Amino acid sequence: MNALPIPTRRDEAWRYSDLEALGEVWPSGVVSERIDVPAGETRALTLVADAAQPVAVRDWTVTIADGARLDLHILNLGGRYGRVALDVTLGEGSHFELGAAQVAGGKTTLEIVTHVRHAAPGATSRQTVRTVLAQQATGTYLGKVAVDRGAQKTDAAQSVKAMLLDRTATANAKPELEIFADDVKCAHGATVGELDATQYFYLTSRGLPPAEAKRLLLHAFLADAFAGMDDAGARETLEAAALAALERLA
Amino acid sequence: MAANEQALALAKEQSKYKWGFSSDIESDFAPKGLDEDTVRFISAKKAEPEWMLEWRLKAFRLWQGMESPDWAKLSIPPIDYQDAYYYAAPRKKPTLKSLDELDPEILLTYQKLGIPIEEQKVLAGVEGARKVAVDAVFDSVSVATTFREELKRAGVIFLSISEAIREYPDLVKKYLGAVVPVRDNFFACLNSAVFSDGTFVYVPEGVRCPMELSTYFRINAENTGQFERTLIIADKGSYVSYLEGCTAPQRDENQLHAAVVELIALEDAEIKYSTVQNWYPGDENGKGGIYNFVTKRAHCRGDRSKVSWTQVETGSAITWKYPSCVLSGKDSVGEFYSVALTNNMQQADTGTKMIHLGAGSRSTIISKGISAGRSNNTYRGLVRVGPTAEGVRNFTQCDSLLLGSECGAHTVPYIEVKNPSAQIEHEATTSKISDDQLFYAQSRGLDREAAVALIVNGFAKEVLQQLPMEFAVEAQKLLGISLEGSVG
Amino acid sequence: MAMLNIENLHANVGDKEILKGLTLEVGAGEVHAIMGPNGSGKSTLGYVLAGREGYEATSGSVTFDGKDLLALEPHERAAAGFFLGLQYPVEIPGVSNLNFLRTALNAQRKLRGEPDVSAADFMRLARTEADAFDLTMDHMKRGVNVGFSGGEKKRNEMVQMALLAPKFAVLDETDSGLDIDALKTVAGGINRLRSPERGFLLITHYQRLLDYVKPDKVHVLSGGRIVRSGGPELAHALEREGYGELAA
Repeated sequence: MNALPIPTRRDEAWRYSDLEALGEVWPSGVVSERIDVPAGETRALTLVADAAQPVAVRDWTVTIADGARLDLHILNLGGRYGRVALDVTLGEGSHFELGAAQVAGGKTTLEIVTHVRHAAPGATSRQTVRTVLAQQATGTYLGKVAVDRGAQKTDAAQSVKAMLLDRTATANAKPELEIFADDVKCAHGATVGELDATQYFYLTSRGLPPAEAKRLLLHAFLADAFAGMDDAGARETLEAAALAALERLA
Repeated sequence: MAANEQALALAKEQSKYKWGFSSDIESDFAPKGLDEDTVRFISAKKAEPEWMLEWRLKAFRLWQGMESPDWAKLSIPPIDYQDAYYYAAPRKKPTLKSLDELDPEILLTYQKLGIPIEEQKVLAGVEGARKVAVDAVFDSVSVATTFREELKRAGVIFLSISEAIREYPDLVKKYLGAVVPVRDNFFACLNSAVFSDGTFVYVPEGVRCPMELSTYFRINAENTGQFERTLIIADKGSYVSYLEGCTAPQRDENQLHAAVVELIALEDAEIKYSTVQNWYPGDENGKGGIYNFVTKRAHCRGDRSKVSWTQVETGSAITWKYPSCVLSGKDSVGEFYSVALTNNMQQADTGTKMIHLGAGSRSTIISKGISAGRSNNTYRGLVRVGPTAEGVRNFTQCDSLLLGSECGAHTVPYIEVKNPSAQIEHEATTSKISDDQLFYAQSRGLDREAAVALIVNGFAKEVLQQLPMEFAVEAQKLLGISLEGSVG
Repeated sequence: MAMLNIENLHANVGDKEILKGLTLEVGAGEVHAIMGPNGSGKSTLGYVLAGREGYEATSGSVTFDGKDLLALEPHERAAAGFFLGLQYPVEIPGVSNLNFLRTALNAQRKLRGEPDVSAADFMRLARTEADAFDLTMDHMKRGVNVGFSGGEKKRNEMVQMALLAPKFAVLDETDSGLDIDALKTVAGGINRLRSPERGFLLITHYQRLLDYVKPDKVHVLSGGRIVRSGGPELAHALEREGYGELAA
């Protein structure tokens, strides 16, 4: 199906990828899907990408028509290599919400790659990505927000945070903006760091054992990604799976 | 023509080189085109020692196998490297009889900048102006001499790179290409092969350079080419502030300007490098203007060393420029403060790289992009933290201001972290001038253009205040001038 | 032996010695106040006692309830009954106040070999204490100290102290930044918790709090050691005459 040559590091969207793992599934193992949200409708989707598939490369094309809304929540855990790429096109007045958490240890490589195109006026998008990495894992967020000429009143935000638990882990982030309209609000924030020492001390000084304090802080960190979910049941499922993944790191 | 005689003598002496155009040595420029002979010509013209020629040739051979980078958000028309002059007469200025013949728009710009009339003539290339300017305005000989004396007393070496190659070969050999290796990138490699001149600064241990150094003086002493090479070395515990003023609007056809700047800061040394770049940007339809493809990099080699880049970029048709810091010293500091303004058809892809290798190294990036007309303005930056660099801090703020609905503002930050103790923060915002702000300023008596200039200057303030005083004033005026006609 | 016994304590922050031979005894049932100018080492003392990383005791000893306090991890000190109220309580987004407190309380009880407090009992307790310090249940459900005013943060420290019921509490400038009503609320809380089994060390810059919480003893900390001790009247003398002379 996919006659394309295998990507190289020179391809921007693959600069931090595990190309060796990709080679094992390319091209037939790449899961391409389409999600089309019709005008005025609302969809909510969740995805848990875990070790069930050691190399999982997902390539989703998403359209959100005028006035429609998509809430997409992803927990990317991966086996060896887990990639979720989203190509999203927004119609007038539509909304795209992405909340994604990535948790990895071992030699896992995880990545979330988004291209969110505001093709018409008045659309909004929110992307929240939280990544926790231990051991030799690599976690990446490549996110591009593109605002077409004429897509006035666009409001786009990206919040990207990664936490490294070991010296051997790697976090990459590239929150990119490409803007061709002037009356827009586009903002992004990105941080990389480790557990906040002051918060950690505060918790332990009140009696929380180190492991518990760490777990609580990491859980709160990841929970940001799922904070906006309406479906409490789905949220709890994702949070529980995230928590279980954190436990496995310890 | 002492230099020419020297060159000839050298050429004779080194008869093993074949000189395909010996008759041309007499003339002031190399023949059009670029091959090994061009490189030999330049080297001979500068009476360079053999090691320098070898260095250039090596660069040239490498360059032939390289490709022009294509990753920037720039649309660069193909450049015919054989259809250019590589030595002397690099800017083919039309000779004017008087300022009356000058494009009135440029003349207006000069006047607004407050450039003295005689200096205006020099900048515009008016016939016979140089002598007047040299004598009356910039007596470059005496200016240079005055400063050289004072600098010499402090032990500071401040020379053209050509002089330094002859007079301080050991220092040049040691540091040239140490920060930007010959093979670093296409343009830097080309520069290494054909650089025509540039600046060399060495500040010895413990010396605080008694004045701000500037190319301004030196350029008046000797017209440098479009391939400048700057090398600044701050030895242990020294300090130097260097100003690079490309503040003169040049009337030019599309032309390549590929400079390389290398800074080296040893233990406890500090280098402050400020640029106000206002090369001719082309006209409002994008005709003409400079291609400004510049490689600037600092190596904070010593513990607690510091390099601060400040740039105000308003000129050039295309800018491709990333003043960077390799922070290998413990607790070393890198700073990048940038205002990039693009108008009409200008394109800028500029930013920085902060490579953290030393423990406790810190960096700050403040980038203010202003897009107007049909221009495109990109911030491109990299913050990288190596696995052994403990306790690294970075803060990055990228703000874009869009004036009008036909321009583009882009932000491409790369963050790569391999050490958990790092604290990396990146923020970016995009805004336009609100009608409320404009109305408010106008209601207080400012006309529209003045109001816009005021607001734009406010937007860029954090960066402008990093500049030395007189530069800051000039930069403020420039921002206003560069935007004129861009607001309806 | 006194409940808290600090003997010739020296401590560093980074490479700098801040505490330079501090000796202090506080018995069960007693309230002591430590006063002193800025930079005298007051907050450092609190952090060293609570075991914050980067605050290192280099020599001397601290015995708490018969145990070597300095040998314990921060959470073990808490479980042993030691509490530090912070001058600048920390915000922790995403971790709810209630969840935090309940987890902390049960972790302490577990270490002491006591059973968990049931959810219902805990909620009852939380409601009562929040109420006592003029915080709403909304405050309790929010992230720890997130969006709290300065005064609310200090009162939240008191709620935590009341809930965790330590044997000994060091309150670091709990009175700073409080208006008079909040100050009375906080002082009332401390007085309520005073008991023959519990000790307090109030670190403060002003004697204002001491108008409402009567200390048994007042100490002046200067240059990293106690330079003077006395009764409550010492606080008034300090207020009148300043630290200059008394600390000299």
